Amino acid sequence: MTNSQHDGGRRNFLQKSVLGTAAAGLAIASTTHIKADPVPDASEPEIVNEVEVLVIGGGTAGHVAAIQAGRAGAKTLIVERNSQLGGTTTTGGVAFPGLFDAWGKQIIAGIGWELVKESVELDGGKFPNFAKVPQRHWQNQVFTNQFLYAILAEEKCAQAGVEIAFYEFPQAVQQTSDGWQVDCVGFGTRRRVLCKQIIDCTGGAEVVGMLGLPRLREEERQPGSFLFMLGKEHQPGRNQAHRLYVHGADSTNSRTATEANLTGRKSILARVRKDKKRLMHMQPETGFRESYRIQGETLISVNDYTSGRLFEDAISYAFYPVDLHTKTGVKPKPLKPGKVPTIPLRALIPKSSKNIMVAGRCVSSDRLANSGLRVQASCMGMGQAAGVTATLAAKLGTTPLEVPLTKIHALLREHGQIVPGKA
Amino acid sequence: MKKRNRSFVSLLIAFSFVVLAVTGILAFALPFSLQIVGLHALMGFVFIGIIVLHVVNNYHHLSRYMKTRVLWVTVVITVGLTGLFLWQPKPIRNILTLSQNLGPAMDRFEVQNDGLIYDYRPSPNYKMTLNLRAGETFDEQAAPHVAIWLENASFYHIKTLREPDDSIAGRAALPYWDFKRRGWESAKQEMETEGLDLELPPEVDGVSGATQNSSFDPADYILPADPDNPMPYRLLIEIDQPNDNQPSLVYSVEIDNSTPQAFQLLDLVGFPKQEANDADGKEVWALYFVDDQFSSALELIDSGLLTIDR
Repeated sequence: MTNSQHDGGRRNFLQKSVLGTAAAGLAIASTTHIKADPVPDASEPEIVNEVEVLVIGGGTAGHVAAIQAGRAGAKTLIVERNSQLGGTTTTGGVAFPGLFDAWGKQIIAGIGWELVKESVELDGGKFPNFAKVPQRHWQNQVFTNQFLYAILAEEKCAQAGVEIAFYEFPQAVQQTSDGWQVDCVGFGTRRRVLCKQIIDCTGGAEVVGMLGLPRLREEERQPGSFLFMLGKEHQPGRNQAHRLYVHGADSTNSRTATEANLTGRKSILARVRKDKKRLMHMQPETGFRESYRIQGETLISVNDYTSGRLFEDAISYAFYPVDLHTKTGVKPKPLKPGKVPTIPLRALIPKSSKNIMVAGRCVSSDRLANSGLRVQASCMGMGQAAGVTATLAAKLGTTPLEVPLTKIHALLREHGQIVPGKA
Repeated sequence: MKKRNRSFVSLLIAFSFVVLAVTGILAFALPFSLQIVGLHALMGFVFIGIIVLHVVNNYHHLSRYMKTRVLWVTVVITVGLTGLFLWQPKPIRNILTLSQNLGPAMDRFEVQNDGLIYDYRPSPNYKMTLNLRAGETFDEQAAPHVAIWLENASFYHIKTLREPDDSIAGRAALPYWDFKRRGWESAKQEMETEGLDLELPPEVDGVSGATQNSSFDPADYILPADPDNPMPYRLLIEIDQPNDNQPSLVYSVEIDNSTPQAFQLLDLVGFPKQEANDADGKEVWALYFVDDQFSSALELIDSGLLTIDR
């Protein structure tokens, strides 16, 4: 080797080293210009919001309700106790939403489907062939990337002008002359919200409970599912995670939810020790199936559900087998061919209430009907209908029960939702 | 001695004939019974032997009869009756339908102008009747291809109850049933090659995948040994009208002996379409929801009613 070669080699090495270091530095530096917007009065612990629609709970129904209300022109705030939107699909990890189709036809579309579709397309995923007769109902559920879904939900909220408040939950609710005063709390934040309409999407109808309105609850609840992945890579949007039942899982309050999560994680640790496999993925909390349901102006019975009753005030379809999970597992009872249940508006309105609705699994229904109604696509359909109704009620200065059904249907269709009844 | 032999044979014929006559009537009138039919068949063989002796004893008389005109009359009557009973025109069929004994096949399939009837009776206490009521486009003279089969809850073929009459054209016209049947046969063959007992359900999972119920023995579903723990199964039919330029259609009904129902209507499930071969290069067929390519095929059957007497 000559000196010049040696020098050249050394020079190249130094150049590469410097470039390499610089590149690494650039990579690190490139994140430094991603800057969160400043929060006005961030040091002020007490703030006040005045909105038309307050959505409490950013889960499966809540974020759809909020986006819909925002798109329909309502000033909207969504309050979520966790750190992301999407609920069961994202935080619970059941990124496998369904069912949007029944008997070869799409029956739930709108904002929920828009989010699922965009998530799948952005992720390069695949959709089931809805024209094909599924041997099992879950074959028509859609593998969705939970992380993309959560971000897209936030993006759509922002585009619809919906303000998001994470880490907060309601502490007190009071009726005012033209709506509600809701006091929420989060760490370092006390927020007073003055709103015209509330959409309670907490899953267990927590706000309805705070108002002392009647709710239904079973002695024993269906088990929750804790999702994780043991021994192999979890590919979001491609495969299903492992899951274990957490019997007695109850999302009634922070204490019961804490117990469910501790139990679930303890069981996963036991599995890791027993199977001696790496824990590759674990969701932050249990996916809950059941807690409270409201007693609404109408109660959907299992006969209404399985017979595909077309309610006069139907605002959305639902589709899933009767799917009651028990100690011994689940034996789904598929619906008879051609049957497509519907959800009436009055099942989203707590009995004898004004200016408050629910959407999601706390829909007014008996337990067996609820075991089919609680799934994501149906909850998204309810969320969108609640978003439309609450917006119209706020704009018309009335209560959801008084909003003309024709206006609700028209606005739902305008926003891409499929309305039961007339084509 | 010869006289004693003759009287012995004659009395034996008389008594065995009584047994044959009684068991014959009982076999016709009562549901299939191995005891009655077995007695009738075995006594029949004994009867054949005694008749040989009877012919030997009476050969002289018989050979004399052969030379009379009565011979031809009896031959014509015998041939005529044989032809009639083989042909089985409607009046004869009607007489046969009075029988409660569907024979070793334990089933009966009939095409009538108002539809198709299928009876299946695997036990005296269990009778399954499938009545496919004719729709507007049903034509008795050009009856459609029909296959009827059972599947377990994991969608695996467990028994074909009724194959199409024309097996070659029928298999082509009913591709979904044929696909299921061939899948079952290959699984059966695979298990036999491996020396596994077809009636041992846990081992079947290797062939059929992890399943809720994976027995290939129809009796486990239709007449479960443990009535308190029955396994649900499905009855399916595939039907196709030749030359209508429309694919076949599949109807089904779920049968759950834990919640017995006397009457159940079949539901239209879909139509078969061939998929891309699976990873092992095996043929795959799936059902698709009925679309707008169907017109007259949807009118072939007005309704399908399954009746089960348990």
